[in-house]
Amino acid sequence: MNPQADAIRVTNLMKKYGQTLAVESLSLNVPAGSMFGFLGPNGSGKSTTIGCLTGLLDPTAGSVEILGKPFTADSADLKRRMGVMPETLGLFDPLYAHEFLAFVGRMFGLDEAVTRQRVTELLAALELTDTSKTLSEYSTGMRKRVAFAAAVIHKPDVLFLDEPFESIDPAGVALMKQWLRRFTEHGRTVFITSHVLETVERLCTEVAIVTKPGKLVWQGDITVLANEGAIEYQGREFRALEPLFLHLTGERYADLNWL
Amino acid sequence: MIRLEAVGTMVRLRYKLMWAKTRSRNGKIALFIAGYTLLVLVMILLGAGGLGAGVLAIRSGKAELAAAAVLGGLYVQALLGTIMLGFGLNAVFADVELRRYPLNQWERRVSRHLIGIIDPFWLLILILQLGLAAGLYVLGDFNLLFILAAVLLLFVSNYLLARVVSGAIERLVSMKSGSALLMVLVMCLALLPGTLIPVISKDPNALRTLIGVLRWTPPFGAAAAMTRSGTAALTGLAVICAWLIGLAVILGYLENLAPRSSGGQSTTLTWESPFERAGALFGNNAPLVAFWLRFYARNNRFRALYALSIPLVSFFTFNFRHGFVKKASAMADDPERLFIAALGAIFMVGFFGSSRMAVNQFGYVGGSFRRFFLLPTDPAASLRTGSYACVFVGSLLIPVALLLWLVFGGPFDARKLIMLLGSAFTGLFFLHGAGLWVSLYGPRKGKYSAAMGNDMSLMGNLVVIFGMLGALIAPQVLFKTFPAAVSPQNWWLALPFAAVAIGFYTVSLRATTTLLPTKREELLAVVEGRVQSK
Repeated sequence: MNPQADAIRVTNLMKKYGQTLAVESLSLNVPAGSMFGFLGPNGSGKSTTIGCLTGLLDPTAGSVEILGKPFTADSADLKRRMGVMPETLGLFDPLYAHEFLAFVGRMFGLDEAVTRQRVTELLAALELTDTSKTLSEYSTGMRKRVAFAAAVIHKPDVLFLDEPFESIDPAGVALMKQWLRRFTEHGRTVFITSHVLETVERLCTEVAIVTKPGKLVWQGDITVLANEGAIEYQGREFRALEPLFLHLTGERYADLNWL
Repeated sequence: MIRLEAVGTMVRLRYKLMWAKTRSRNGKIALFIAGYTLLVLVMILLGAGGLGAGVLAIRSGKAELAAAAVLGGLYVQALLGTIMLGFGLNAVFADVELRRYPLNQWERRVSRHLIGIIDPFWLLILILQLGLAAGLYVLGDFNLLFILAAVLLLFVSNYLLARVVSGAIERLVSMKSGSALLMVLVMCLALLPGTLIPVISKDPNALRTLIGVLRWTPPFGAAAAMTRSGTAALTGLAVICAWLIGLAVILGYLENLAPRSSGGQSTTLTWESPFERAGALFGNNAPLVAFWLRFYARNNRFRALYALSIPLVSFFTFNFRHGFVKKASAMADDPERLFIAALGAIFMVGFFGSSRMAVNQFGYVGGSFRRFFLLPTDPAASLRTGSYACVFVGSLLIPVALLLWLVFGGPFDARKLIMLLGSAFTGLFFLHGAGLWVSLYGPRKGKYSAAMGNDMSLMGNLVVIFGMLGALIAPQVLFKTFPAAVSPQNWWLALPFAAVAIGFYTVSLRATTTLLPTKREELLAVVEGRVQSK
């Protein structure tokens, strides 16, 4: 694979919390311009991996390259080209949505006129026009929309989205998907984690699946699924992402007679 | 109908949660030290405090008045302790949390207040009161039943009053101009003793009138019930009961008030604010400083403490003007003593308002802490700018305090003004410097929306409490032992102190901002509540 074409390159990434191994020697390449789905069961190290890829956490070992340059927590220039929507959203609750977005815009070096214009447009597009409520008074879905707006306000080259569609209504999800598709059409990259496999299947071009502890078990192109094709793995054919995911991560069945 | 079993389950759950904190080795050590300290405190308070007061009350021959004075003092101290330092107000469970369980309104209310009243702080107050009761019973010929009833009722009324006052303050500071109103109210209260004492000292009838009024307060009611018999004792108990009912009604009213909403829908975006304008003073750090200023200004606790700062300094200046010298001695009338008290009190003026934030910079940000590390800036910028914002808002109170000194502090003396300015700067930079270290090594998950209560870590409490006590005591000690050090003749001595404090702050800022990236995962775990606070 041509290294120039990779927006994200992860090599032997390992992350330990004390003695607990959260990510074990993870290596993956994310092609530039792709909509990349990063999947795994609960506790498989997805959020830890995103933490290492965005500067929140320091990897115990291994390296991360973003847009062809080594990335660490201090890489301010690279961070300026990245947008992140963390799972916990990271909103400052006492602020109003426009104040928060303006703060993010200013921090990412947008000038005042552009900041105000983009904040206004984003709030209108995401139907967040009620400015009488602080972020703490917003519903979960509205908070998610604000976090999404904060991730894209500076038009990043690489976008990390951790569970972006949960709690957002169908209209909001449709709008976000439309934006994300346009985003990748312009050669920019989206790195997305989600438990909604149907959404990932329809939206993403490539997928990586990890199991505990942050171990890559499969990575490949899934566009064949959208064209009624199948993915072959260990001699089996998978016509949807869900059976492949369950096959790789292990199906579970427990019967509770009283339920 | 209250199901006591359900209430008991909630109380047990509170203690199970407390016990869960001690599962680690450090937790067990902390529990042992806390238990041992509590035991020693109980013994000291029971023996030397309340019991001693009881003995003195009997021997003085004015048992009722002495008991009323001791109980009144305790009552006010407990109230000040809860309001100023937030002790004894940590609810543990909010009503909204208890709504998850099958408890009715009254069960939720009783559970919350039962958990609140068995807080160690209130137990210490109860022990002091019981000490006095023991002293009165052992040496006096008083009715044990009345004594115990009075102590218990007084104790509950003290708790309820603290809750009512804190609830009222919480409500007040959530209003737009509430902080200013609070400041005026507290200023009036702080100046009340200074206004009353000259009147009382000149007119003996005024003192009798005042005592006559005070008889209708819980401490005086309790004193009457403890030291008198028959109708007089019953009247004393009735006074406390009347207060209990009144306070319970007011507390119920305050708790039933709907939370203040921000009003109707609005679509107006405002871009310019004083926060951005003030932040612009800090160059490249402008957006972050503006963010912190906004974050502080919207915090009810910050607004309450900020509004209390100047009244508190005035209160300490006035009340410590006698220092450790008996009021009757010639030294007590020394006009310099007001200046010495002011020198100590002004030390904290720039810190008290921002103290909770300064010693726990990230504790109130919670999970949003991770946002700072996603921003294209060096990871330590959040700590640095947070501290700049704290120092900035704290420094704004220094000219106000100096202006008050110019108005009320007697004849103008530029040397005194420089010394006061030096003390204020020393406190501002020294305490904020210490706050940086505590933010890093003693963080604690705090509740941003709470206006009252003490949610600082042990280290945070040590810095705030000892910072204040040290500031009040040090000039008094120097005045007694080495008066030249606080004499206006040596006014220049204040300057090196301020310079050292600024140096300490600068070094602390550099060191802590260097350390922050290595500590961020640990901090994140604490402020997100995944790891127990220290």
